[in-house]
Amino acid sequence: MNLPILPTSVVGSYSMPSWLERLKTEYIMRKISRHDLDEIHDTAVKAAIKDQEMADVDIITDGEMRRDNLIDYFAERLPGTQIDHTSKKFYYDFYESVVTGKIPTASLGLVDDFKFLRANTSRETKFCITGPHSLVKRIRNEYYKTEEDFALDIARVMNMELKELVRAGARHIQIDEPYYSGFPQDLPFGVRLLNTLVDGVDAHIGVHICYGNRYGRPSWAGNYQYLFPAILEAHVQQLTLEFAWRGGEDLELFKEFPGKLEVGVGVIDVKSDSVESPEIVAERIRHALKFLPPERTAVLPDCGLLRLRQPVALGKLKAMVQGAKIVRKELQG
Amino acid sequence: MILHVNHVRPGHAKLAGDVVATLLSLLEDGRVQSGILQNLDVHLDWIQYKTNFREPIIVRKAVRNDEVLPMIEIAIDLRQIGETNLRESLAEVLKTVDGDRVALEPFGPMRNSVVWSFNKLYWQYLPDWERVSGKGYEKALPGGTSDGHNPVAIKDSANKFWTLLKDMDSKGQLPPEIFVMEIGVGTAERALRWMNDFKEQDREHGTQYYPRIRFLVADYSIATLNRATERLGPHGELCSFLALDALNPFKSLSFLRYKMLYIHLTNVYDNLPTDEIAVRDGKYYFVQVRSYLHQSEVQKICEKFGVPPSDFNRTVTRLLEVGPVHFSEVDQGMAFWQAVWAALHLEERLVAVDSLMEAPLPPGMRPSHVEEFVGDAADLRFHLSSGAVESFSNTIPLLHPRGFLEVQDIFVAKVSDYLQGFRGPGKLDGSILNWVNGAMLAEIGRQAGYDVHFAPFRYREKSNTSILYTTQREQ
Ligand SMILES: C[S@@+](CC[C@H](N)C(=O)[O-])C[C@H]1O[C@@H](n2cnc3c(N)ncnc32)[C@H](O)[C@@H]1O
Repeated sequence: MNLPILPTSVVGSYSMPSWLERLKTEYIMRKISRHDLDEIHDTAVKAAIKDQEMADVDIITDGEMRRDNLIDYFAERLPGTQIDHTSKKFYYDFYESVVTGKIPTASLGLVDDFKFLRANTSRETKFCITGPHSLVKRIRNEYYKTEEDFALDIARVMNMELKELVRAGARHIQIDEPYYSGFPQDLPFGVRLLNTLVDGVDAHIGVHICYGNRYGRPSWAGNYQYLFPAILEAHVQQLTLEFAWRGGEDLELFKEFPGKLEVGVGVIDVKSDSVESPEIVAERIRHALKFLPPERTAVLPDCGLLRLRQPVALGKLKAMVQGAKIVRKELQG
Repeated sequence: MILHVNHVRPGHAKLAGDVVATLLSLLEDGRVQSGILQNLDVHLDWIQYKTNFREPIIVRKAVRNDEVLPMIEIAIDLRQIGETNLRESLAEVLKTVDGDRVALEPFGPMRNSVVWSFNKLYWQYLPDWERVSGKGYEKALPGGTSDGHNPVAIKDSANKFWTLLKDMDSKGQLPPEIFVMEIGVGTAERALRWMNDFKEQDREHGTQYYPRIRFLVADYSIATLNRATERLGPHGELCSFLALDALNPFKSLSFLRYKMLYIHLTNVYDNLPTDEIAVRDGKYYFVQVRSYLHQSEVQKICEKFGVPPSDFNRTVTRLLEVGPVHFSEVDQGMAFWQAVWAALHLEERLVAVDSLMEAPLPPGMRPSHVEEFVGDAADLRFHLSSGAVESFSNTIPLLHPRGFLEVQDIFVAKVSDYLQGFRGPGKLDGSILNWVNGAMLAEIGRQAGYDVHFAPFRYREKSNTSILYTTQREQ
């Protein structure tokens, strides 16, 4: 599929309706069946796809509607992980989960969800996963000697999963590692993890690194300086970073550390309900282009849209795409 | 008849027993209809500040739309009522005539009641009020001082903040400007001490954080801000003074989103408009109020101030609109205001709501919060703390990821505390004082990503205040 210059995409999640929050929570309280919840999820995914198509986003996702939060979807599927199903009352909370032995080599079963997405759209698609560095911050380790050993083994198992996704047709894969910003000292080991995770995976791979969006607020403060130069060693094609709510100052880092990485530039503030105008989006893109060549620039929101109400999320995506179109036109003269 | 005896003060047990005997004897004598007793709930569980809006016995009727429901409640304040007048007073209220009451407003949600206009007026005209009454507002507090001004507590708070900055500094996270704010500063006593203590701590450690502090001093009363500006003079331009409504700090300060490291309020939440919900027999009722004075009181006031009785309501309205300057002599206006305020009572009624969707919940609160809070209690009356909830929800978006909110106030920290008595609003000088539903704030905080904790105020024995502080929930 031919993508335009400055391709637009999302970071992964789409607006989570309050009725779905309720139903997910009812499932946890065993008031509705798994079968019903699966059907509800299918329907919600189709709606999320539809909105992204309506906004004319180039590379779309399933809206991550099946996920409770960034961890549990993976913790529940990661072979050998034990989950205490009584440990949460509200879907968005985290389960208590623990690994007590070596993680067996087995599938996480993500391919079905990818296939569902593919079957329901003719657009280019992206599949997002939470990376091992974030997972080990939440899943208790009672087996591996070090956190790094634990994370590397997760990366090994997930590497096979990524290859399966590629066999099923996945061309764009995104790895989310929001906890890097909370633990900047971990970055060198974070990069080793990434390289294990993507080894031999034949797809366009992006890494999303933000300052957290839990409860729609930042979890950490600081700036992206810590990523450089270590991140340039990661065997990935794209970095997607947030620049809308934080401002675009850190973009200058790409002048200081030029590399081959594409940058997915966050141009939509997902922590605010006010919908940007296409002109503001265009301005943010133009600013990024002062530091990045257009062929290595992609356009995205800062982070997932899950905490926004649907009309706001849709409005923001539309503005994002229109803003990108304005700048494309300018570039094409 | 159902008698609710959840809270009886020591020494009032006999009187509680007398209530039942008296009601039965009134029934026998035919002074109360048996129909009334069948649907009567008697509550002896009110805990109040000494000066308040209550009469010793009050009757609450229940309505659905405009239809009066059979359920009637009476609430008896055993502290105010003596054995001698119990019988006559009970017979009187159960006849329920309101002919001798002059209402200042129709029934409506409590947060819209004119009592809040009185409250606001008080803070606007505080210097006049204090001049006329000859004492500072703090003197009206039980004990004569505010827990908010406890020197040790303030020093601890300043040191705790310094420790946070130190930790951030060691991690390279300290922003160039350090934003802190106090809302509802009153005399600015606390703000001044806090800044002094912080400065001292900073100097001792040679950390140079103090010059980076940007202290926002906020209140909705200009008179108060003026006083605070003078008080905080020694800290010069590190302090900025802002007239803003505690209900929505974000509206005024959205440019500081995620930037504030510390926000403090003392005795402000208890002073913000609120509503109440009652659960009776598992059904939800919204408590509506209207303020009134007894005809006899109105007559006295009118005579004293030369106001024609037919002009009484209009004069009160003008007082609330333009302040005591409505009278040609301000002190005359002040005295009229104080007399009206002292005689003012609140009448209550319960309005049945079929679904919480109909209840006017404050912004930031969803029906699920209320349901979660009530659980399976079949009989409960609690504060929605509308103003506090609104303020809380509109304050936390200002917090830096490592920032925290600290609120010193009188909190009901657990739902079960409401089962042991209802704490109603009191009058504190010209202001209102009310208990704050801390358990509800905790629920709202949880769903917004904050754990809300309550630390009992350990700096004064028998203090009933506690300190709410937030920590960020798991990232
Ligand atoms: C009870 S005093 C407390 C003063 C001081 N913090 C203390 O503890 O002594 C309440 C303060 O909050 C202010 N206040 C009350 N309602 C407010 C509102 N809605 N917005 C801003 N300030 C308010 C009043 O003007 C007053 O200064």
